[in-house]
Amino acid sequence: MTQRRMATALLALTAATVLADSAVVTLALPQILRELGGSVAGVSWVLIAFNLVLAVVAVPAAWLLGRRAPGPGTALGIAVFAGASAVCASASGLGVLIGARCAQAAGGALALVGCLELLVALTGERRGVRLWTVSGVVGTAAGPVIGGLLTEAFSWQSIFIVQVPLTAAAIPVALAVGKRTPIHPECAVKHPDSADFACSTAHSAHLRPGVPESRRPAVAPNVALALLSAALTAALFLLVLLLVEGWRTEPATAAVTVSVIPVAAFLAPWVARALQAGPQAENVAGCLLVAGGLCGLALLPATAVVATLAPQALIGLGLGLTVDSLTGQALHDRLPRAHHGASTITARHAGVVLGLAVLTPIITVDLRHAQAPAQEAITAAVLDAPLPGTTKIALAQQLGDRLLAERGRVPDLHPAFVALHPPPAQQPAAAALESGLNEQLDRAALRAFRHAFLAAAGLAALALVPLLVTRRNVR
Amino acid sequence: MTPTAALPLGAAALVAAVLGTQVAAGGWDLGPTRAADPCRARAVVAVSTGLEGLGEQLVLLGLDGAACRLHTTREALVLRLAEPGARTDAEVDAVRAGLHDAVDRLDAEHRLPPASSLLDEVLVGSGLPDLVQRALHALPDSLINNRLPTAEVLRRAVDDLDVRALLARVTDPAQVQSLVTAAVRKAVIAQLIAGLH
Repeated sequence: MTQRRMATALLALTAATVLADSAVVTLALPQILRELGGSVAGVSWVLIAFNLVLAVVAVPAAWLLGRRAPGPGTALGIAVFAGASAVCASASGLGVLIGARCAQAAGGALALVGCLELLVALTGERRGVRLWTVSGVVGTAAGPVIGGLLTEAFSWQSIFIVQVPLTAAAIPVALAVGKRTPIHPECAVKHPDSADFACSTAHSAHLRPGVPESRRPAVAPNVALALLSAALTAALFLLVLLLVEGWRTEPATAAVTVSVIPVAAFLAPWVARALQAGPQAENVAGCLLVAGGLCGLALLPATAVVATLAPQALIGLGLGLTVDSLTGQALHDRLPRAHHGASTITARHAGVVLGLAVLTPIITVDLRHAQAPAQEAITAAVLDAPLPGTTKIALAQQLGDRLLAERGRVPDLHPAFVALHPPPAQQPAAAALESGLNEQLDRAALRAFRHAFLAAAGLAALALVPLLVTRRNVR
Repeated sequence: MTPTAALPLGAAALVAAVLGTQVAAGGWDLGPTRAADPCRARAVVAVSTGLEGLGEQLVLLGLDGAACRLHTTREALVLRLAEPGARTDAEVDAVRAGLHDAVDRLDAEHRLPPASSLLDEVLVGSGLPDLVQRALHALPDSLINNRLPTAEVLRRAVDDLDVRALLARVTDPAQVQSLVTAAVRKAVIAQLIAGLH
């Protein structure tokens, strides 16, 4: 592998790692809650804080980077990100972890916009933007999967430990690439004491000749990106929550399950390339697929992991078709590139925060409302079970204790059956009852997620509005 | 068809196919099993035999009757009764009436066992002198069944049952069993005495 290729790979990996951090801890949240304490709402800030800070800091970071050569700025951003990752891994309290996540996001913002400029400098305008965009899509989609596997294999801390060498390796690359890149004379005149790198690379014959560049941000693709990101957050966050907390699936199994989304997202560009439908058609089709996939998750016909695969595939295809294409549209012929790249980061992560802000209250209320029907269904199953009355009463007592012990979370009923010690003759009936009760809990959890999935589908469908309005205006 | 239109239409068709399949497979209705209407008779089978089995059937049918009277579900009533706290008169009356309904239904369906088959269990720990117990055992089954119609004994037992105390101890299987058995024994003995006169 040549030095240039290695540098390109490391910068793309850094961009993917930073964007993966948006949702990488999703599967680790239950373990973090158990180890660091606090409330469910408090732990959700481990996720929200990163996205919020990234959304707020991205544009100022681009401005800061535009004042100087991007190499040192990018290296500084990566160093802050890597250092904050190390602090996250060693955090002994929720406050420290959330604070370190904010620092991670601030450094990550600088690293992301810097990586865009450096990738363009290394590979050219079209390829550099595409690499940066694809890294983002892969990172966003694969984040929860990787986070889940690391949590299951080692611990939640391992997610952050792994990030340190992965990103730190790109620091010398950023410094070296930044030093080598030429500075356009026009920019040097404008900023004699600085190097407007965005300007320099944009003018280094990568833009299409004869096409006027624009400084105004592309509103429609950014609004659509924000709405789709909100919907995709739902797809990943809610699905992971349903699998791990609702259906009590092991994090590793959940991680493998949600890997359908990145796999489908990876295949989507091949489909688009084969059909050559154009970015607008890709965006419309992508929004339809994401909205349809989320409706599919709301209407699962069975409480089995396998039932989620088809809707996930739709979401993954939609993700692959839209995020790549919309980001490309938002950056197309627009300067300074870093600013517009930062705008897409802001749009996407503001969308993530919007998604969490809209969907968290819905799921919280629905989970509360799901308790009564679930309790009634469990009661009915116990009353109708082919077990002696005395056994049923003893079991009901144990089940009640389990519900209290889980403090509103979906309970693990197995200890209640273990404590029952039924005689051998009653064991098959007790096992069948336990299975039936778990099925009732799974159904109740699934139903509790229905409105949130449908609301997320609505957000994805809403992303069609700016796209179609723009299309009409263009006509 | 142009590729520009083909991709969105293909996506819409794919979505329609997935959603259609899911709805056809019951995706719209999937949720926790809804509680049955307690006012409609349901099949109740007890796995226990003898007095305990009979008690289970009566309680399960009685809960339906009580819930129907209280305009709630059997499950909601059970969950409410499982919570600590005093029971209202309406609840106590509804449970007693529900138990009466249960006896009537089992009697109408000829599902009540003859008294002779329950006698051994009733006499154990009844406090009756050994001589009396031996005498009762010596009586032919036909005479016992004639003098002790099960439905009558159970109706009397339900009247004698301290429903409020039963509901206060509903989470303790031993206490529940003890209260029900005591009420049945008392009814059997009262019926026996009435029959001998």
